[in-house]
Amino acid sequence: MTTHEDKDLCALEAAHQESQERRIVLSLTVNGKPVVEEVDPTMLLLHFLRDKLKLFGAKEACGEGECGACTIILNGEAVTSCLVLAAEAQGAEIVTVEGLSKDGELSILQQEFVFEDALQCGFCTPGMLMSARALIDRHPDPTDEEIMEGMGGNLCRCTGYHQIFDAVKRAAKREREELNRS
Amino acid sequence: MTHPELEHCTYQTHESYQSKYKHVGQPYERKDAIEKVTGQARYAFDLEMPGMLHAKTLHSPHARAKIVKIDTSRAKALPGVKAVITGDDSDIVVGLYMQDKLALAKGETRYQGEVVAAVAATTEAIAEQAIHLIDIEYEVLEPVRNLDDALAAKILVHEDIADIKHVEGVFFPQPDSNIASLNRSYKGDPQAAMEEADLVVENKFTLPAVAHVPLETHVAIVEADPYTGRIKIWTSAQSPFALRQLMAYSFGMQDSDIEVHIPFVGGGFGGKAGIHLEPLLTLLSREAGGAPVKLRMSRQQEFNYMPTRAGMRGRIKTGVMKDGTMVASDITYDWDSGAYADYGVNVGKTAVYGGLGPYAVNNVSIVSNTIYTNKVFSTAYRGFGHLETLWTVERQMDILSQKLGIDPYEFRLKNMIRPGDTTVSGELVTKSTGCPIDCLSAVVKEIGWTGRKTDEEREREWKTGKVRGKGFAMIQKAPAMPPNTATAVIMQMASDGHIKVMIGGIDYGQGALTAIAQITAQELDIPIEMVEVRRETNTNTNPYDWNTVASKYTFMAGNATIKAAHNMIDQMKAVASQALQSAPENLSHGDGYIYNRHRPDRRISYKDMALGYALPNGSGVGGPLISHGYYMADGLTNLDPKTGQGYPALAWTFGAHAVDIEVDVESGSIDVLKVASAFDLGQVINERMVYGQVIGGVMQGIGSAILEGYKFSDDNVLLNPSFTDNKIPTMKDMPCEVVPIYIENPQLNAPYGARGVAEHTMISIPSAIGNALYDALGINFYHLPLTPERVALGILSGKKDIY
Amino acid sequence: MLSQFDYVKPLVLNEALDVLSKNDNTYILAGGTDLLIMLRHNLIDARHVVDIKAIPDLNVFSYKEGEGLEIGANVVVNALIESDVVKEKYTALYDAASVLASFQLRNRATLVGNICNASPGADLPPSLLLYNASVKIASSEGVRTVPIAEFFTGVKKTQLKKNELVVSVFLPDPGQGDTSCYKRQTRLKGHDLSTVGVACRLDGAGKVSVAINAVAITPLRLTAFEEELNAKGLSEETILWGEKEIQNHIRPISDVRASKEYRLHMAGVLFKRCMTQLMEKEAHA
Repeated sequence: MTTHEDKDLCALEAAHQESQERRIVLSLTVNGKPVVEEVDPTMLLLHFLRDKLKLFGAKEACGEGECGACTIILNGEAVTSCLVLAAEAQGAEIVTVEGLSKDGELSILQQEFVFEDALQCGFCTPGMLMSARALIDRHPDPTDEEIMEGMGGNLCRCTGYHQIFDAVKRAAKREREELNRS
Repeated sequence: MTHPELEHCTYQTHESYQSKYKHVGQPYERKDAIEKVTGQARYAFDLEMPGMLHAKTLHSPHARAKIVKIDTSRAKALPGVKAVITGDDSDIVVGLYMQDKLALAKGETRYQGEVVAAVAATTEAIAEQAIHLIDIEYEVLEPVRNLDDALAAKILVHEDIADIKHVEGVFFPQPDSNIASLNRSYKGDPQAAMEEADLVVENKFTLPAVAHVPLETHVAIVEADPYTGRIKIWTSAQSPFALRQLMAYSFGMQDSDIEVHIPFVGGGFGGKAGIHLEPLLTLLSREAGGAPVKLRMSRQQEFNYMPTRAGMRGRIKTGVMKDGTMVASDITYDWDSGAYADYGVNVGKTAVYGGLGPYAVNNVSIVSNTIYTNKVFSTAYRGFGHLETLWTVERQMDILSQKLGIDPYEFRLKNMIRPGDTTVSGELVTKSTGCPIDCLSAVVKEIGWTGRKTDEEREREWKTGKVRGKGFAMIQKAPAMPPNTATAVIMQMASDGHIKVMIGGIDYGQGALTAIAQITAQELDIPIEMVEVRRETNTNTNPYDWNTVASKYTFMAGNATIKAAHNMIDQMKAVASQALQSAPENLSHGDGYIYNRHRPDRRISYKDMALGYALPNGSGVGGPLISHGYYMADGLTNLDPKTGQGYPALAWTFGAHAVDIEVDVESGSIDVLKVASAFDLGQVINERMVYGQVIGGVMQGIGSAILEGYKFSDDNVLLNPSFTDNKIPTMKDMPCEVVPIYIENPQLNAPYGARGVAEHTMISIPSAIGNALYDALGINFYHLPLTPERVALGILSGKKDIY
Repeated sequence: MLSQFDYVKPLVLNEALDVLSKNDNTYILAGGTDLLIMLRHNLIDARHVVDIKAIPDLNVFSYKEGEGLEIGANVVVNALIESDVVKEKYTALYDAASVLASFQLRNRATLVGNICNASPGADLPPSLLLYNASVKIASSEGVRTVPIAEFFTGVKKTQLKKNELVVSVFLPDPGQGDTSCYKRQTRLKGHDLSTVGVACRLDGAGKVSVAINAVAITPLRLTAFEEELNAKGLSEETILWGEKEIQNHIRPISDVRASKEYRLHMAGVLFKRCMTQLMEKEAHA
C-alpha cells in the first residue's frame, strides 16, 4: 500500500486528472427543492452544502463528528455532515437550518431559541436547531433525558446549555399544542 | 452552626428580578438573534472574496528544533499554488505588550505546532497537497519543558530576551533568563507581620493550560494590495483597532493604511483579542500578488497552534491570628506562558493587583513571573488570570479556616474588604466600589450552608457510595487595560426617526449590540425597536474602541452612549427651541418628542427633526442629526514598578459562587447539583443576557474545574489536540440547578451604576468545587482539574492532601 | 483530504467483493464515522470507496428464537437501541450501544464498523464477547465465520484480509433467565471514549462471564477470571473478591485518557457494580 508521502508531483497531477473523470452527478432534494450538481467523489456533504449550494448555515467546528455544528437532517435523521460524503446523499432528502422557517416566518423552534436566548455567538446554533428538530420529530413530548441524549452531541461554549434545553422543551410543548388545535 | 444574620439577607434572582428602568434592565431579545437562528449570520468562516486563495500551514512537530533546511520547490511547482513562504521570507515580529511572536518560525522552532511554512493556492485541496510536498530537515534540541526548567535558565527560549521590544515601565523582562516579565506589589511589612502571626500556612496550587474553544476557530482573509500598499482584513477577532495598530507597527505602515472588517464572530473568550493569523496571511497575499487569502484553523490547529490560557503555579504563604484576622500574605505566581508572552504577559501583571482576593490585608507581597517555556503560548482567556489566582487564594482561605477551626463563611467575612479599606495597590474602597459581603451572604444563604460536615456525617454518607459537599468562593476582578483606554460611539437619526448607532466594540455573543441599544432607548426615551446598533465593524468607518476584552465594554461604551444621546438631545433642543420659540432650558424630551415642559402640547417629534426641521414657511433649521460620545477611563495610572501601588481598576466586580456537589467515592466522579452565583454588578442592563453570562460562565468554570487541561509528552508534544481527548462540557454535564443572583450597589461613574459581569461568572468555580470537595471528603486537592481519576486515586491513597 | 478515490455503490454483495479483490487501497463505507475521520486526517490513502448501504444482504437484523440474532453490516447503532430483542435478550449490548458516541453519530455508526475499527476501547465488543458472537466474513472466494474472540488481533487490527468484508455478526440465543449489563467510566457525562468498560453476563445456569475494554491491545474476555469466579459460586463475598481479583487478570497501560492505576481500580469497581446489578435483577426475576 502506498502512502501520501510516496506520491510524487506527477502522480498528484495524474490523480487530479483522474478526479475529473470520476465526477458524479448528484440529484437530491434540499429544503424541499430538487438539486442536481456534479461533484467529486471525495467531496464531503457539508462542503457540498456550503461550497456548492451556498447554504452557509451548517458550520464546521471540528471535522470529526465531535461537536455537532454541522448537523443536518438526512432522510429524517440528524447526522454530522462533516463525516458524510456528498455522494452518499444521492436521492436523499436533506433539511438544513435554512429550511426551518416557512414564508419568512420563524418556526416555533426558532422562536423559542430567540425567546430563551438559547444562543450567544450563534456558531453552534444551526447545528443545535437541527438536532432539536430531529429530536422533536422523534419525541414530540421529550423527557429531560431524551433532550440531553438528543442534544448531547452538540457542543456550545457560550450558553451553558440551560437555555437551549429550555427552548427545546418549550418548542416541543408549543408544537404539541399547535397540533392539538389543528 | 447557623448564621442568624443571613435571615435578613434578601436578594433578587433571575426569577424575581425587576428593573426600575423602562428599558435598562429589561430582558429584551438579542438584537441579532434572528440572523443567528436562520443561518443568515455570516461569520469570517463563511466569507468568500472574488479571486480568493486558500492557505494551509505546516507546523513544527518538535517543541524546540533548529530548522536546518527547508525545500519548498516541489510545493511551488504544483499547479494552482500561488505562494509558498517560510521563515526565510519574513522578518515580521508581532505582539501586543511583548513584541516577541514571529509570523513564522525563523531558524528555530519554539513550540510543537508553530508554523514553519505556509502555502496559498487556488483550492484548499491543492494547498493541502502542497503542504505535504514541503521537505524540512530539523535538528531536534532539548526543550525547556516546564517552569522549573525555565527558572533554571540553562536553556533560553529567547536568547535575545534583553532586546525584545515591550511596553516599558509596565513589563520587566529579566536578562539571561526565561522570565518575560517580573511584576510585583508590596505593601506594609509582610515579613515582620508573618513573624508575629499566630499561624503561618504555606501551600502550592497548580493548574494546567486550558483552551478557549470558541466554536468558530480562528479564521481570517487578508488582501495586501501591492500597488497601494493597503491591507484589507476580514477576521474573526475581538479587537479590530488593536489589530490595526499592531499590524501597522509590525509592518512599518500607517494605521490608516489598514482596514479591518469584523463580521459575526463565533466566540472568542479572549483568544481572539490581539493579533493572530493576519501577519502570516499578509505575507502570503503579498507573495501571491495581492490576491485575498483565507486561512481557517482546523480544530487540531486551534488546540495546537493558537494560544491558550497559561498553566500556573501559585505559592502562597499566609499569616493569621487565632481570631481569624489575616495579617500577612506572601504570594508568588509563576505563569507558564509557553513560547511567547505577546499578550500573556499582561495576565501576569494583573496578578499583582488582582491576585490577593477581596480581602483587607495590610502586609502583602505578590511576585508574578511570566515565564517562557517550549510550549504552545498563552494569551488572555475569560477571567484573565483570576480563575487561576483565586484557585490559589480561595483554596488557601478554606484551608486556613480548617486549621483555625473557624467556619469558612465567618472567616471570609472577618477579612473581607470594606469601605475605608485599601486594595493591594492602595486604592481606597468606597460604597460605590461594590460589596463582596452581600454576594457571599446571598450565595451562602441560597445554598443552605450550615457549616462544615463532621467526620461522623462523612462516614455515614460514605457507606452509601455518594457523599455530598458544599463549598463557596469569592470572585473579584477589574478590567486589565492601559490607563488611557478609550472608546467612542456615533449616533445618527434616520429619516424615519430610527437611531443607528455605530460602535467600535465587537459583539461576539456577549450582547453588546443589545445592551447599547437599551441604553440608547433609555436615554432618548424611544422604543427599543427604534434603535439599531450596527453589527458590521470596519475600522475605516466605525468609531474607535481599544479592544473588546476585560468585561468593560458596557461600562465604557455605555457611558459614551449616554454622552452621545445627550448630545443628540441637545441638538434637537436647539432646533426645537427655534421651532417652538422656547428657551432650550424650558424644553424636555420624552416618548420621541421634544416638548415645552410647561406646555407639553407644544412639541416636535424627533422624526421631524431627523434631517433638520422645516418651519411652516419652508425655511430649514438644524440639519441631519448626528452625534457622538466618547469615554476615556478616568483617573487610572500605571503601577509603581517596585511596589505595585497605583490605580489600575476602572471597576471592581465582586461576586461569589456556592456549590452543592455529590461525589461518587469509588469512581471519583463529581455531580454538580446546584450552583448559586451572586455578583455586585451595580445595575442589570439586560437581564436575559446577564443570565446567559452566568449560566455560560459557570459551565465553562466547571470545565476548568473537573475536566479540561492540556497534556504534554516528555518532549513537550501536545497529547490531546482534539475533542477526542480535550473535551469541553456537553449538555449532559450541566449542573442540575444554577441560581444567578443580582446585587445592585451602583457605581457612581458607571452607566446606571453598571459594572461588567462577563468573565467573572467563570472565575472561582474551580475554587468553590475544590472547597466543596473538602467538605465532602475531608481531603484537600491542590491541582486542577479535579477529574474522576484524580479524586478517586486521591481517596484511595488515604492521604489528606493531594497535589 | 489527500486521498483521491472513486466511489461505487454496488447493489449486490458480489459486486462489492469484486471491487475489493481487484483493487488495492479499497475501503468499505457503511456509516463512515471512522472511515471519514481517517480520510480527513490522511491516515489512509484510499483509491476506491465502496459504499455498501445499497446491498440488501447487509441490512439483515433478525432474531430467531432458539437460534439467535444476526446483525448485518448496515445496521446502525441507534437501531440496536430501538430493538426490544437487543434490550431484553442482550442487555449488555443495549447498554453499550446507548452510550456509544453521540446521537448523531449513532445514526450513522454501525456495529460492524465498530468491530472492524478495532479500537481497544470500543464499547460494543465486550458484549459481543460475552455472547460468543461470531463474525461472518465474505470474500470473492467464499464465506467464513470467525469467533469474535479471535477477530481482534491488535490495536486497530483484525483478522480481516484485504479482499474481505464483514457481512454480519451473529449472537446465539442466550435462552431463558439470562441477564447482562455493560458499565463504563468516562471523563465526563457527555460523549466520550471508554476509560475502561466492563460487561458481565449471568446466564440461565448461573454462570458468570466477564469482558472488558481499554485495558489491552484488544477487547478481552476474561476466561481465567470467570473460571475462578464460577468455581467460587456467586455471592456478595465473591463479588467483593472479584473486585480485587479482576485486577490480576488485566494489564492496562497509562495513556492520555487514564493511568494504569485508575483503570485497574475502575475495572474492579465496574465489575462489582455490574454484578451487583445482575444479582439484584435476578433476585427480582
